[in-house]
Amino acid sequence: MTRRAVADREDVLGVLMLAPSLAYVILLVGVPFFLAILLSFSNATAGSLRFEWAGFGNYGAILGDPIFQRALRNSVVVTVGSQALVVVLATAAAQVFRATFRGKRFARFILLLPWAVPVSLAAIAWTWIFDSTFSVINWTLKAAGLLHGWLYWLGDPALALVAIIIVQAWRILPFATVIVLAGLASIPQEIVEAAIVDGAGFWRRLFQVELPLLLPVVTVAVLFGVVYTATDLGVVYILTGGGPANTTHVLPTLAFQRGILGADLGQGAAIAVFLLPFLIVVAVAMLRLARRAEVGAR
Amino acid sequence: MTKPRKGMDRREFVTTATGAAVAVALAPTIWIKRQQKTLKILQWSHFVPSYDGWFDKYAKDWGTSQGVDVTVDHISLADLGTRANAEVAAQQGHDLFQFLSPPGAFEPQTLDMADVVQEAARRHGPILDLCKRSTYNPVTKRWFGFSDNYVPDPGDYLKSIWTEIGMPDGPATWEDLVKAAPLIKAKHPEIQIPIGIGMSQELDSNMAARAMIWSFDGSVQDANENVVLKSDQTLEAVTFGVRLFKAGMNPSVMSWNAASNNQALNARQTGYILNSISAYRTAQDNKLPVADDIFFVGALKGPRGTRWASEHVMGIYTIWKFAQSPDTAKRFLLDLIGHYRDAVLGSKLYNFPSFPGSVADASVPLAQKPDAGARWLEQVTANDPFGSNPPSKLKPISTALQWATNIGHPGPANPAESEVFDTFVLPTMFANAATDRMTPKQALDDAHQQVKKIFEKWRAKGLVAGGSGDHA
Amino acid sequence: MKRVALYAAALGFMVFAGFPFYWMLVTTFKQNRDLYVGASDVSHIPWIFNDPPTLDHVRLLFGETEFPRWVLNTLIVVVAVVVITVAVAVPAGYSLARLAGRWGERMGMGIFFTYLIPPTLLFVPFSRLVALLGLHNSLGALILIYPTMTIPFCTWLVMGFLRSVPWEIEEQAMIDGYSRLAVILRVAPRLIVPGILTVVVFTFTLVMQEFVYALTFISSVEKMTISLGVPIALVRGDVYHWGSLMAAALFTSIPLAIVYNLFIDRFIQGFTMGAVKG
Repeated sequence: MTRRAVADREDVLGVLMLAPSLAYVILLVGVPFFLAILLSFSNATAGSLRFEWAGFGNYGAILGDPIFQRALRNSVVVTVGSQALVVVLATAAAQVFRATFRGKRFARFILLLPWAVPVSLAAIAWTWIFDSTFSVINWTLKAAGLLHGWLYWLGDPALALVAIIIVQAWRILPFATVIVLAGLASIPQEIVEAAIVDGAGFWRRLFQVELPLLLPVVTVAVLFGVVYTATDLGVVYILTGGGPANTTHVLPTLAFQRGILGADLGQGAAIAVFLLPFLIVVAVAMLRLARRAEVGAR
Repeated sequence: MTKPRKGMDRREFVTTATGAAVAVALAPTIWIKRQQKTLKILQWSHFVPSYDGWFDKYAKDWGTSQGVDVTVDHISLADLGTRANAEVAAQQGHDLFQFLSPPGAFEPQTLDMADVVQEAARRHGPILDLCKRSTYNPVTKRWFGFSDNYVPDPGDYLKSIWTEIGMPDGPATWEDLVKAAPLIKAKHPEIQIPIGIGMSQELDSNMAARAMIWSFDGSVQDANENVVLKSDQTLEAVTFGVRLFKAGMNPSVMSWNAASNNQALNARQTGYILNSISAYRTAQDNKLPVADDIFFVGALKGPRGTRWASEHVMGIYTIWKFAQSPDTAKRFLLDLIGHYRDAVLGSKLYNFPSFPGSVADASVPLAQKPDAGARWLEQVTANDPFGSNPPSKLKPISTALQWATNIGHPGPANPAESEVFDTFVLPTMFANAATDRMTPKQALDDAHQQVKKIFEKWRAKGLVAGGSGDHA
Repeated sequence: MKRVALYAAALGFMVFAGFPFYWMLVTTFKQNRDLYVGASDVSHIPWIFNDPPTLDHVRLLFGETEFPRWVLNTLIVVVAVVVITVAVAVPAGYSLARLAGRWGERMGMGIFFTYLIPPTLLFVPFSRLVALLGLHNSLGALILIYPTMTIPFCTWLVMGFLRSVPWEIEEQAMIDGYSRLAVILRVAPRLIVPGILTVVVFTFTLVMQEFVYALTFISSVEKMTISLGVPIALVRGDVYHWGSLMAAALFTSIPLAIVYNLFIDRFIQGFTMGAVKG
């Protein structure tokens, strides 16, 4: 009788099932995170484990630092730029890959490749592709007669940011496309057919019927991409190392350079922690948007 | 150095306590390390691959003869800082940790190596001043590391190209580079970067920036650790850097990594680089025809005749305070120095000994060892046993001691200099000016202020002296 | 006309996604003297083999590095992390979606946010913890730490997934006399399968990609994962072994892409099932 009761107690079951996840998150994320925040308020250095309270000193120092301001701006530019690119490309790619055509399986295999390659290796490959002296892109453009000067991909601050955005978009695109495809497949066929009966052409159907219905799914894909891009260290670190002249740092690479390579743990922590409130705001906003859109679409 | 620590400090307590709580919660299976004689070594993958082969075998044989279980891990140079941080945070890791530039920031975590240095000096004669200034902190009077080798950083040039423009022996002054650049361009329009000196966030650029500043009689700090970067001399160097960039380089040097200048030289896309002999050895290994065309010159002269170059890398072993076999590690180092002639050959003349006496013949009496060692080194570099054509090609690097100096010159290496080095302040200064983002004066001002902040921080921790003589 | 546009678009996407892989393929088998030719030399076509192809780089990768070992290590870590993640995140997601009532969603959000914490600095506290547990330089460290990245996201994902799965099936089962627990053990798993698939794919991707923690915790070559071992062993001093690096990237991604490709349909179907039945 009591056994039966426990098996029906939703609150007990709920706690039991949630407990392991919660424990993992609190012990292995929460506690270290708390320590990282403490670090950001200290003047700890790599060589010493002494903890000395530094108040908002680290935050004051980084806010007044033009390199930090630039890194913050780059973080926003790279994240927004790459995700904008991804949304457009993924929506277009999904339109292509929902159709049937010869060689589709092979095409889809190629499309999925960037998803499968470890980012540390992909970034190294891209470094070679963008290498100003050996760039195969430059060669091709030059041979095709499209390039008269020279593109210093990673040596010019603006082009270097473009290169970073391209690589970030490239590695998120497969995942985003798959998610949009899933969203497309879930749109009730009747709605689309009704639109066709109403005489809607491809573009009207796309923008007035499908895209609004896709919004929740796309939002989730973008949120995922935002997190992936904004917290990523590897691509920028390997492609440019933050150069030329500290113009392409993003927050994670700057935190790494100051905190780990430069041994100023406190300041590094402050830079890394700085990102978090923004990510949370973005996440909340996007999840709200996704839900409202979902409710609205029903 | 400082007072012995009483118990734990706050942060350590927090980490330990939470760590322990998690440990209890998550892993009832903490195993106790078996006590056996082990020696764990971590070092950077050598620039000349054959050295790693030599070293691994040497270490293994040493272990066998001493009854010690030796393991050697190699990681790439860019990852040294991360690993060192992780080991310190963990208070666990390797017994010997080899850095390639002075690890000043880690001084509080390292054992004082005075006894090893003294014992090595007793056996082989004194350590080079250049190496001492990279491993000894005069403020705390501690040896935070033990240097086994330093590597000269000469200029590498393509002889055929420089012959065509009438300088068959390569450049002798920095000004020669500016003069040569347009000539090379005119003769060889296909060469993208006539003069290949990096201005990016990597090792070679770091060394090049220092060589330029020193040869123009500027420096980051003076002998007493006062920040004197902002000076007419440094400004002259930066202004020169801008001229050099405009005459002979292009923006690709802003994006270079440690491999880029080798690749450019080996592809004949540049006529001159500042690098150790590793670029040349790579060309030999890959059987690239360019190898026979690569020749070397020593440090270039500045406008007033001063010539300095950084050591290219400096092998510095540290022993963590938390190392498990510090005594075995020290013995290993002493024996390694005792075999340094083999090490130099194993590295194909890349490593130069920090104790020159260690490469002398064993029979030479102590007092003559340093000179005898230097002579041997001169002979072997003048007649390269590793397939150079002509064999005398490496001769210019045998004079390295006249022009190679340490990071921190004319003062010692210290944590502040290390941070300036590791956050690439100086190459960034050159890049800022060369790309016209700032005037040379602004770039210098900007760098000077950053450097001052860094020095002040480390002075507050009692690891760096000076301050009274800082330039404004 | 429409077909032409379709093929052109498909080709465009293939080029964008695939050209780095073609480049890897060429570089893998190129002799170094064919590789180190400046791009300003228009007469030297980099897309093809100007000198006879060579197996040297592949030989270096398989003969002189521990690549096969790293593949094995990566698989071990992936499988372990997938198991832990599924075992922890799926019940939690179910609990938040079905049992926790109104605060479930807030809590799910809270757990999700921990996924946003950048790993750049967490590794300093982590290395202390790993040392205390005696897991330094062992795959166990990665198996312990990687779920901190996967569990938050997957818990949230499963929660979201379940909210789009109709409640009626479980309700009917309870009307049929199943206890709440029995519903969870016998009925729910079938409903969650597509969600679990997503969790697996996600975990797989993350573990394959991770580099910073691996570098922090693993120092012995024979214990490394692919994403760590390859760059460590093949970027030596100031030499990049481009051919071998590209070979490693290629040999890792192609089999994986084939696997992803095999069940991408089910991945999409799973998503669809959840949403359409709602």
